[in-house]
This record gives sequence, C-alpha cells and structure tokens, in this order.
Amino acid sequence: MDLEATIRDCLDGSQSAWKALVDAYARRVFSMAYQFCGSREEAEDRTQEVFLKLHGALPKYDFGKNFTAWFLTLAKNHLIDEYRRTKWEKTQRDEFDERVLSQAAGSGPEENLVAKETKALVWEGLDRLSADMRMVIILRDLQGQSYEEVAATLGLPLGTVKSRVNRARIQLAQVLKEQRGDLQ
Amino acid sequence: MTCERFEELLSAYLEGELAAAERGGMDAHLAACPGCAELAGLMRETLAASSAFPEAEPSPALMSRLYAIPEERAAIKRLFRPVFDWLARPALQPVYATLTGLFIVLSFVLFHPEGRGIRKQFDVQFHRGLGAVEKLYADAGGLKGEVKALSANVVRSFDTLGLLGGDENKK
Repeated sequence: MDLEATIRDCLDGSQSAWKALVDAYARRVFSMAYQFCGSREEAEDRTQEVFLKLHGALPKYDFGKNFTAWFLTLAKNHLIDEYRRTKWEKTQRDEFDERVLSQAAGSGPEENLVAKETKALVWEGLDRLSADMRMVIILRDLQGQSYEEVAATLGLPLGTVKSRVNRARIQLAQVLKEQRGDLQ
Repeated sequence: MTCERFEELLSAYLEGELAAAERGGMDAHLAACPGCAELAGLMRETLAASSAFPEAEPSPALMSRLYAIPEERAAIKRLFRPVFDWLARPALQPVYATLTGLFIVLSFVLFHPEGRGIRKQFDVQFHRGLGAVEKLYADAGGLKGEVKALSANVVRSFDTLGLLGGDENKK
C-alpha cells in the first residue's frame, strides 16, 4: 500500500482509502489498547476514539514525517491521557484469556504449565505498573518494536528509552515475584 | 561490579548487546550474587512470556464502526454547519475579542489566589480616585471665582486707561 497516496485520498474524502488505512492499523492499535487497558470493551472504545482523532488530525499530518510513528504517538497519548483521566473508575483487567492471547505460533500444546502461568501473571502484573512503564513494555516486549521505533513513538531519546525499558522490566520481574509469593 | 550496575545493564545483557568485557563482569556477578541471579531469572521469564503475546483481533462490529467514522463526522458537520458558519462570521470577531479581554480581566479578579486582596485594592484605588475628582471639582469652583475677579480687574484697568475707548476719569 502506498501510504502517502492513501492518506492523500483520505483527505480528498475517499471512503475506500479510509477503509485501507483502518485495515492497515486497526489490529495494531486495538492490540495496543487491549494490552494497555486490559479490558476488551474498554479497548474497543479507546480504539474508536483513536481513529476518530486520527480522522480529525489527518489534515494536520506532515508528509515529511513517519506516518506510523506519528499515528502510534497519537494513539499512545490518547491511551495514557484517558487512563490518567479515568484512573479511579478502573476495574480489574479481563481474565487472562488463552483463546484470545495464546493463539500465536509457539504457544501450542507443548508449552508447559509454568510458562502459561507466567504469561497470566505478566498479563495481570501489567496493571501494577505506572502508565509510562506499562506502555514501554507493551511497545517493546509485547508488540516487539525495535528500540528505535519505541523512541519514535514516545518521542524520547534512544538512551532514555533503553533505560526506561530496563527499569520497567525490573519492576515487572519484581511484580512477578510478589505474585508468586501471594500464590504460595 | 555492584548490584546497581548489574541492574542497569541487565536488559542489554539478556539481549546480548554487551561488549565481551562487560559480559564477563556480568557473568561473574551473576555467579556470586543470588539476589541478582534471581532477578535475572525472573526477567528472562517475563521476557519469554511477553514475547508470546499475539496481537488481539478487533471484532467485526468494531471494524464496521471504524469504517463508518468519515460518514458520521460528515453527518455531524452537516448538522452543525449553519450554527458554526453564523458564529464564525467576521462581523463577530470584535465581539469575541472584547469578551475575551473582559473574561481575562474578570478571571484575574475572581480566580486569582489573591483575588480578595485585588478586589480590596481596587476598591481603595477607586475611592481614592473618586476623592481626587471631588477635590479637583472643589478646586475648580474656587478657581472659577478667582478667574472672575481677575477678569473684572482687567476690564476695570482697561476702562481706567481709556484703552479700547474707555474713559480715564471714569471710576
């Protein structure tokens, strides 16, 4: 897909171009929202809001910039802002759903019980990280972005991103340890 | 190597990004410090678990709502366009500018933490100004009498000197 041409067509009001843009990014943004919010219902609302924002902000997009990084920054900002705004209304994350989250390759029947349990604990443990820490873990480890891509999405220097990812991983490891302690 | 330094380099170590010398230092610390070894093990586990999260699939209902965004926005625009057009008339710009100025001044008086002090200061200055105006008015009254007397003297002098057709013998 020629992204620049698609965006120009969107600006001209082409419905098919908008559909192509949604198809290209919906899955990624929804995953990000689901991993961040922890609730499917809330993630759907946030995804819709992000795309509404995108539609409103598209005329301001600078064609010299990387569209993916620009859009993901917009999505990240919206998720964090909404999280901070409605923090006190939050309920718990959805139960870790094997059918939704474990259908990727490498998570077949040979996966052992401990690894599955760890995955569930990591999923629940994300809720115990601050919004900024949770976001770097999602972008780098859950979504598998490179450090450079994370830096572009967060608008931070590479060194800062690396050290923030490291701190977030240490926090998550400590949460995992506490959760195991609670289970025993 | 300290535990603090070990933690700083832990991600780079697990991702194989360290130079040989630093990696050697990390290996040595790992063998000697059970706490850091446990942390490294936990981080290894979280990394393995995190990398196995696939992308979640958006529902068809959500996709339909996303596709419909341009139409919805266009419908809302059509609905509110006449109101926006009326409000955006250039003729209303001075009104908006005046209102903005008024609101700024009002907000300073009403919402400033020292608002009470400002209002009190305003009252004092206002009454002081009022007093000054009254004093000026009173002075102006006195001045009026002086000007009248002066002008009568000047007229009498002209009359006495016979200038402008006056009579010097006239008293």
